[in-house]
Amino acid sequence: MSGPARIGAGSDTDAAAKLRFRFDDRPMQGLAGDTLASALLANGVRVVARSFKYHRPRGPLTCGPEEPNALVDVIGAMGREPNRLATTLALHEGLEAQSQNRWPSLRTDLLAVNDRLARFLPAGFYYKTFMAPGWAWERLYEPLIRRAAGFGRIAPPRHGGANAHHGACAETVHDHCDVLVVGAGAAGLAGAHALAVAGLRVLLVEQQPAFGGGARLDASGQAWCDSMCAALRRFGNLRCLPGTTLVGAYGHGVYAALQDSTSEAAAAGRGLRERLRVIRARRVLFATGAVERLVAFPGNDRPGVMLAGAALNYLRRFGVAVGQRPAWFLNNDEAYESALALHEAGVECAGIIDARTHSLAAERARTAGIAVHLGAVVDAVHGGNAVSGLRYRDLRGGEVRRLRADCLLVSGGYSPSTALACQAGASLQWQQRIAAFVPQLAPETGQVAGAARGVFGLAAAALDGAGAARRIAGQLQSIAGPARTDAAPQPPLPPDPEATDLVPLWEVAGRGKSFVDLQNDVTADDVRLAAREGYTHVEHMKRYTTHGMGADQGRTGGLVGSAVLADALGVPVEQVGQSKPRPYAQPVPLAALAGAETGAHFKPKRRLPLHDWHEAAGATFVSIGTWLRPLVYSARKGWEPVLAEARHVRGQVGITDVSTLGKIDVQGADAARFLDFIYANTFSTLPVGRARYGLMLREDAMVFDDGTTSRLGPNHFLVTTTTANATAVLEHMEFHLQANCTRLDVHLTDVSERWAQFAVAGPQARAVLSAVASGLDLSNAAFPFMAAATATIAGLPGRLFRISFSGELAYEIAVPAGAATAVWSALLEAGAPHGIRPYGLDALNTLRIEKGHVTGAELNGNTSADDLGFQRLLKSDGDFIGRALARRPALAAPGRLQLVGVRPVDPARRLRNGAQLVTATEPKLSLGYLTSATPAVAFEGWAGLALLADGRARIGERLQASSPVHGESIEVSIVSPHMYDPENRRVRG
Amino acid sequence: MSAVEGMRIARCAIDVREICVARARGEEFGRRVREHGVPLPDIGHVTVHGERLMMCIRPGRYLLLAAPQPDSSAALMPGLWPPDAAPAAVIDLTGGHGAVLLQGTRRLDVLARGCRLDLDPAHFPVGRAAATIMVQVPVMLAALPAGLLLLAPASTARHVHEWLEATARPFGLVPQSSVGMAELCRSSVQ
Repeated sequence: MSGPARIGAGSDTDAAAKLRFRFDDRPMQGLAGDTLASALLANGVRVVARSFKYHRPRGPLTCGPEEPNALVDVIGAMGREPNRLATTLALHEGLEAQSQNRWPSLRTDLLAVNDRLARFLPAGFYYKTFMAPGWAWERLYEPLIRRAAGFGRIAPPRHGGANAHHGACAETVHDHCDVLVVGAGAAGLAGAHALAVAGLRVLLVEQQPAFGGGARLDASGQAWCDSMCAALRRFGNLRCLPGTTLVGAYGHGVYAALQDSTSEAAAAGRGLRERLRVIRARRVLFATGAVERLVAFPGNDRPGVMLAGAALNYLRRFGVAVGQRPAWFLNNDEAYESALALHEAGVECAGIIDARTHSLAAERARTAGIAVHLGAVVDAVHGGNAVSGLRYRDLRGGEVRRLRADCLLVSGGYSPSTALACQAGASLQWQQRIAAFVPQLAPETGQVAGAARGVFGLAAAALDGAGAARRIAGQLQSIAGPARTDAAPQPPLPPDPEATDLVPLWEVAGRGKSFVDLQNDVTADDVRLAAREGYTHVEHMKRYTTHGMGADQGRTGGLVGSAVLADALGVPVEQVGQSKPRPYAQPVPLAALAGAETGAHFKPKRRLPLHDWHEAAGATFVSIGTWLRPLVYSARKGWEPVLAEARHVRGQVGITDVSTLGKIDVQGADAARFLDFIYANTFSTLPVGRARYGLMLREDAMVFDDGTTSRLGPNHFLVTTTTANATAVLEHMEFHLQANCTRLDVHLTDVSERWAQFAVAGPQARAVLSAVASGLDLSNAAFPFMAAATATIAGLPGRLFRISFSGELAYEIAVPAGAATAVWSALLEAGAPHGIRPYGLDALNTLRIEKGHVTGAELNGNTSADDLGFQRLLKSDGDFIGRALARRPALAAPGRLQLVGVRPVDPARRLRNGAQLVTATEPKLSLGYLTSATPAVAFEGWAGLALLADGRARIGERLQASSPVHGESIEVSIVSPHMYDPENRRVRG
Repeated sequence: MSAVEGMRIARCAIDVREICVARARGEEFGRRVREHGVPLPDIGHVTVHGERLMMCIRPGRYLLLAAPQPDSSAALMPGLWPPDAAPAAVIDLTGGHGAVLLQGTRRLDVLARGCRLDLDPAHFPVGRAAATIMVQVPVMLAALPAGLLLLAPASTARHVHEWLEATARPFGLVPQSSVGMAELCRSSVQ
């Protein structure tokens, strides 16, 4: 045996496969199939954690994912992970776990002093205390509270971690099915069988590694499960996912499930840990079972106080007796199963305290020789780090007695697991028979079956599940495949025992703390305090007390808290209700949400058609949005290589890749009319073979985007957009075409990827182009500034535009992306005699700032056409997007930020992006800020663009450019934004 | 479908042209096309015409996929309409897409890790086509007898390809090869 409390074989464990593990550095042994909690209990470990606020010692309360106490740090190849549930954490060889929230040790935790100070730390104490002195909150109180709060510690792997070798530790998988069955207990198994027989595509998910749920805990139920699972395996249209927890239900039949892939991945040699499954289903069948609830009584959190159903699970599944002399405190017949099972296993039972006066199960227990005290309640638990006994009180005579016991197994009844159904839109109805809420789901969403809607017992739940499945199958008849008439029938159901109804039992009054939420240390007194202070709605009480806000979402005590609140308000519990559950129903690691989209796959990288050429040429790349663009053709840092490229363009000729520009092909009989509506300026008057600068406004009249549009034919235009807005502009145009211009014959086609585009700029640009463009007269007269034409470039079909972003004589050449390398190489070859060299994005930026051209820094969504000096472009006749709101008085009001140029008075001083423009007399009053700055190549010193209040009127003034971040303030001159060749002689040359 | 174990990713060299049907001339366009024996796909479908594929994933728009050739777009569908009274515009998108054919027994397992569409052959049979987002990239998918054809924008094609390779590796990545239009169109799509 592996541990003194292991008294027999468990259905989940393999007695022959022993595993070594460590808890708080203490070596122990468990069995394959154990959870960490079962292995600890088998080794006699009762205290596994300290509580959140009061640092009280805590042991496992449950045997599953609803566990509030047994959270541990796990130290492994992935580093130190906090808040792993010991009750679901599968034991493996070498597992190393440590308890949380204690110092210096689990047994002796100095912060347990909080328990003594509890009267000063009630719910919401931080709203009332620590108010003074004001300075102390940030410097003293908050740091102290933050240090004391929380559970575990997170730490990266010691040696680089598994990720370094295995890639992402999680992945996302999309699944589709006709019906998603959640839970593989009796109702889920029977429902899945019926749905599969009906020919539907079924996906069955179950959070436990084995199917059966509570049905597995007795021999007849186990036999039924085995037969049912064998029958299900024969269906090709049914897929089973054990170890998969549904964590969220969303609209339109979308569900999220978390699958533990550790063992599967280990077998495949992968570092994969978790798989987030996004499931799309036409219908859902929730067979999520029920959760046993606790009872609030003094000392109900002591290590050794456990739910009765958990004790039965530990015994049947793991062969572990949770105590040597257990006692029970309960109010329902189902909980007697654990007493009878432990008694049968040879464990001495101290006795059963039943709040009811009559019970069929009590008669069975007495017949078996177990003492039963009917009509009594436990009002005190004795012991510190472990239960040593209890006190119980007769409800009729008030007589008080004591009982020696080393653990107390509690059951306050079962609450259907409604969280997921509620997320899917279910309403809750009170069911007095079980003293709990049950969900009602719209049939077009799905059904709820079995214990999840208060139908308990294997046979009853299975019949209910099959019935719900038939209702779903009836709805989906039209899409179902052929019915599986050859399928194995469902095995016969063992009869359910007769049971006496429970009597609601929420709280037993007494001295000491009675917890309604063990994870967040919320007591019944906290709930009453919330009610007294006006937090009478269950949602307000939740937020004030943190009841149900822990990782366990208050599953075991949620309804108990509602009942205590109801009692405090003097209303029935069904009137108070339960707080609304939201995704995620179980904690989900952030890594699972990230999935495989990490590292190289974090976001798409868009590469230029010439990416490989740029790389071979030694370019340093920069990520602009998703694009990878050559920043400068040098590995050297600093401005020098950038300025060398820019100077070369000003002095000779350069070539740059502008393929990232958005390009939209606009065709149709109404293309010109449509562009007149989309743009603030006119395009219907543009002659074929010409290009025009276009200004696009948003509906609110702020500038949206700019670019050149060329007319390639009477009904054919090519719109270019900024790189950043390429997608947004197309969407904007499509929206208005489909919403406002439905009668226009216009087609929009994104041709951005089709065309590679290069700019050849500089005084020698014409000479370079003349060598490669055949059949086209490039003279100023024949092909002037803003001309556009189809052309043959280096023998390949392309388009040529005479437009300039640099302020120099320039041409933009568009060629099919597949011909990019050939044409680029031909241009370099033709330009070699003229000294052509490539220039990158930084040099392009330098050139455009000198010239006063705007980009995203200036087109920031807050600037109007007038702010940027484009008012004259707005057409006076005809409608266009933004026209109405462009007339707002506010857009012409004094004080608006207007585009200006900025140059330092002392050329040796540098300008900084974001520097605030202030006067020397009022240095704290910002008049505007620098949007772009660069060292200049056309003149000495730096050049900048800025948005300045009443900027155009301030041209000629001197201000201070203050950058508090850098501790600088320099004197600057406000100049026209067109700092280079304002007469446009060079671009027209 | 292919019996390749794991997944094979084969690059396809294709020319792509978009046909935009003029407003209110859809019937005329359809009639002319059918008169010439070209099977016009419904929305969400792909058809084969000789060694050409025609996909339709939005109203009034058809993508014509053909083997790379120097022909003008008009030569692709000769004689369909007079140039001066065309019921549709043809826009050359060649070079704007990266195309791969995905084959093999595990191709759906791989795609399920990035594509939210239900690609089960029962729901996405041969002849279906769709546009979707996959690994943050807008893509088009067409179910062909030879496998699944995936078209991604040229600038992100390498990203998608690298993702496909990385994701397919645990399932068995078959060494890369390329295929031509003949293989893509090797049996008719119903």
